[in-house]
Amino acid sequence: MTEAEGFGAEVGRLRRPTGVRPDRGFQRGEGFLPPFARKLTSRQFAPYLFLVPNMLVFGVFTIWPAINGFRISLYDSDNGRQFEYVGTENYRRILSDDRFTDVVRNTLIFVVLYVIIVTILSTILALMLDAQRRGSGALRAAFFLPVVISPVVVGVIWGWMFTRRTGIVNALLDDVGVGPQRWLLDKKLAMGVIIAAAIWTHVGFYAMILLAGLKSIPQHLYEAGRIDGAGTLQRIRLITLPLLRPTTMVVIVLSTIAGFQAFDYVYTLTGGGPVGGTTLIVQYIFERAFQSPIQYGLASAAGVLFFAVVFAATLLNYVLGRRKEAM
Amino acid sequence: MVGRHRLRAAFAATATLTSVAALSQMSVAGATTEPPDAAAEDTAAASEAVDLSAFEGESLTYVYFTDGAPDEEATRAAIAAFEEASGATVELQIVPFADLETTLQAQLSGGDVPDVARVSNWRPFAGDVIDMNEMFGAAYSDQFLPGQVATALGDNGEFLAVPSDITMNGPFINVDAFNEAGVEIPTEWTWDDMIAAATEVQEANDMEFALAIDKSGHRVSTVLSQFGTTLLGPDGVTLDPAMAETAITTLTDLMAEDTMSADFWLESGSRYAGANEMFLAGAVPVYISGNWQVAQFAETAEFEWAAVPNPCAERCGGFPGGKYMVAFQGSDNPELAAAFVEFMNRTEIQQQLAEGASWLPTRNDLIESGITYPNRPDDMSVFLADIAATPEDTYLSLASPAFSAAATAVIEEIALVVAGEEDVPTAVENIIARSEQGLEDAA
Amino acid sequence: MNTRAMSVPGPRNWTSMTPGRRPPSVSAVVRGTVLVTAALVMVAPIAWAVLSSMKSRNELAERTPSLLPDQLSLSNYTEALDRFDFVRYFTNSVIVTVAATVLTLTINSMAAFALAKYNFRGRNALFLLTLATIMIPLQVILLPVYRVVSDLGMTNSLLGLIIPPAATPTGVFLLRQYMLSLPDELLEAARIDGAGELRIFLRIVLPLCRPALAVVAIFSVIWRWNDFLWPRIVAQKESVHTLPVALARMNSELVVPFNLVLAMSVMSILPVIILFLLMQRQIISGIAQTGLK
Repeated sequence: MTEAEGFGAEVGRLRRPTGVRPDRGFQRGEGFLPPFARKLTSRQFAPYLFLVPNMLVFGVFTIWPAINGFRISLYDSDNGRQFEYVGTENYRRILSDDRFTDVVRNTLIFVVLYVIIVTILSTILALMLDAQRRGSGALRAAFFLPVVISPVVVGVIWGWMFTRRTGIVNALLDDVGVGPQRWLLDKKLAMGVIIAAAIWTHVGFYAMILLAGLKSIPQHLYEAGRIDGAGTLQRIRLITLPLLRPTTMVVIVLSTIAGFQAFDYVYTLTGGGPVGGTTLIVQYIFERAFQSPIQYGLASAAGVLFFAVVFAATLLNYVLGRRKEAM
Repeated sequence: MVGRHRLRAAFAATATLTSVAALSQMSVAGATTEPPDAAAEDTAAASEAVDLSAFEGESLTYVYFTDGAPDEEATRAAIAAFEEASGATVELQIVPFADLETTLQAQLSGGDVPDVARVSNWRPFAGDVIDMNEMFGAAYSDQFLPGQVATALGDNGEFLAVPSDITMNGPFINVDAFNEAGVEIPTEWTWDDMIAAATEVQEANDMEFALAIDKSGHRVSTVLSQFGTTLLGPDGVTLDPAMAETAITTLTDLMAEDTMSADFWLESGSRYAGANEMFLAGAVPVYISGNWQVAQFAETAEFEWAAVPNPCAERCGGFPGGKYMVAFQGSDNPELAAAFVEFMNRTEIQQQLAEGASWLPTRNDLIESGITYPNRPDDMSVFLADIAATPEDTYLSLASPAFSAAATAVIEEIALVVAGEEDVPTAVENIIARSEQGLEDAA
Repeated sequence: MNTRAMSVPGPRNWTSMTPGRRPPSVSAVVRGTVLVTAALVMVAPIAWAVLSSMKSRNELAERTPSLLPDQLSLSNYTEALDRFDFVRYFTNSVIVTVAATVLTLTINSMAAFALAKYNFRGRNALFLLTLATIMIPLQVILLPVYRVVSDLGMTNSLLGLIIPPAATPTGVFLLRQYMLSLPDELLEAARIDGAGELRIFLRIVLPLCRPALAVVAIFSVIWRWNDFLWPRIVAQKESVHTLPVALARMNSELVVPFNLVLAMSVMSILPVIILFLLMQRQIISGIAQTGLK
């Protein structure tokens, strides 16, 4: 049964006479709730009731602690229990910390490269998968497989593959004559490795999203394009990509957030890279919060800054996307 | 992936065995390993005065981390003895070492206070633990190695953590490889001797490297000590720049020549890395670590190995570390908690634990009488001997509140040198500066 | 972008095995090759990990890694299983994952429905708030969350693993997007017929959201199964350990036996992979239909 048919059947069922007069307040319909409860679930209250469970869990376990976290950022604490008010001292310390500047730079490089490359690759992948008939199911499964793996396992496997002396990558490179590379020993190469790991993990996911977007582009536009004599590449450039833009924007926003949040697989892979070359911002927060010497206030302040940056980046993406659409 | 929201994996952090404690009276002057017997007898009588059966039917939680299977077994046996003597039940909560501090912090701040914990760094909990001398008499702490006791004292001399075992850093060698190369197994040697011997063995056996050391400021402190200096002392940073430079240059030169693995130092970033896998795989004949490896090696090594004395440069001896048991004030039953700690650190129990887990004892009476280790007695006695040879100031360095910050600095600065981004003098300067910053922060 | 080239039947051929098909065009061959190669690259690290998980400790530390293990032995697995109470951890993981997923689907879909199909004051603000929380890293709020959980007495219990993570903002986001695309007229028609809001939600909206629900379900399974940091802090007692926690424990012991780490890693990803392979059709078509626009 197609979706449309399912729609129709459901509506049809409701249209059957229920034996109750249809024109009186909240006693309509078969409903399985007693009258007073039915009033509560009336349209007026319904949204709030629907929202309550989720927002309750949310409020208690995320929002409230986040507010607390914000509060903690104004204090100094080395054991999470005794707090000393320091005002904006934490922020001042972070912003004047050289290490933080490096970390921010690393994170920005990582995010920008990751977002650009993964968007391009997943678009190409989606285009190819869309055109592919044979074996598309198995192919899609293969590309989606890395998505389900725990990030720690990703880090373990990749870190081990790229070890200079005992890693399989260098062994293979040796076999083909290229020679071993200093993957995790060179800052730039290490950054490349973690970007590659990030892409490997997520490209399938974004490709699926783009595939969905591709399927919603009406066929007749391509027909028209073909009739007008446009070649494949031209059709892609002039029809597909522009119409795919909303979906592409979603991918860009999601990958930006994911890029900023990268931690577990990076930390497992490089531990922050040769001499801090791949230390990203969440690791910076993690170290302040959980490694001696513990500085919770500092970690919270860094967390607040982090949140502000990601929020701004997301807004920026969203606004830029909107503007382009309007054009 | 955006789908992975905030609840994600975070991987383990460093596993430096640092015990950080306050310094107060440096009454350690004179007393390194000489046990005052009289005091021991007194307090033994005092501890027996605690009536364990008063805790019948109660329960307590013991947060614990393990170095490997043998100590867990030994601990469980000791716990069983306690349960029998007291009628109370003990729940052993084993957490990974790397999570220990986080877990305890979380539990304490969440009001979920455990009763007892085994820790290597008790400082973060200074305000939460019970003064054992208050519980059991001022002479209670005299039963234990003064050097270790000094690392467990609060600002006013409270005995806040009972040293339950001491660790000693030192080298292990691959005996098979040494024999193969025809190199004599040393009973004492200098750093130059060690490097020469290791290189010879490496070449004769076609091993990848000659020397390996854990990537840990605590382990490197061993080298620093042997070259004559320590990071910290009761009055602040004590690092002698010239000696530190010699020590660090020794290591970085070895890495530059590929005698030690430079990759090992850089590839794991700021995560702790132990070189034991390298040693066990037969890739290196000499491995500087500590006595906690003995039990694991005994189980898994596929070749003949042995612990050997620390090499001497300016000085000899190793570098201590240790674990403590602490009882929490906020526990539901502080008396039971303290009683459990006291029980676990009694002579008979400590003897069992040391024998079963291959731990080095901290009780003066046991150090004097010695322990017959059923497992690898020769190796354990090497470590014991090194305790005697280890200089006083190493304990003081370990006891400094800034030790972990300084240790991290050591690792990071060495990494910068190995990566070619810094020269050794600058590295030493930075270590000193960061240690001073650490002291400021801790104050 | 679709090409119809391959589905147009061509002239029958004396030698063709699939009569009626035109031989594939060059672009199709290239595309196919590229895709297959890329797919192999995708799968290679996992295959490598599985193969290597059967190697012995020394084999793993060897200078030049071999592709295949010396012998296909499962001794790493048996040793890892020996060391750890695998069955219990596995059961815990399953309970937590299933329960959390059910809870997530329930409360997320309800909230998404409210945010998508009703116009009430503060709707947009609430939605933005939900979105914004995707960006909060757990590390920053870990201690405050733990305090809350502890105050509620949920530490060291499976409940503490199930409830706090259930209100996933991403789930709400995905479901809301999907529900936005459901025609309002449908709901109006039902209301005219006298159906209550709850009935509309249960009988109309949810069944239509099946693809999106499938997506959120599989993501919830993945997230809860792989959850690391939170269970490590909340579930101290061994009896409530989940699989990744056990793996983390092994990984962070001072002396890490890497062969066992690999075996445990493979064991921990196997269930999710199997589940995924079984459900992949639904999942992938579900994502395809979530129509994120």
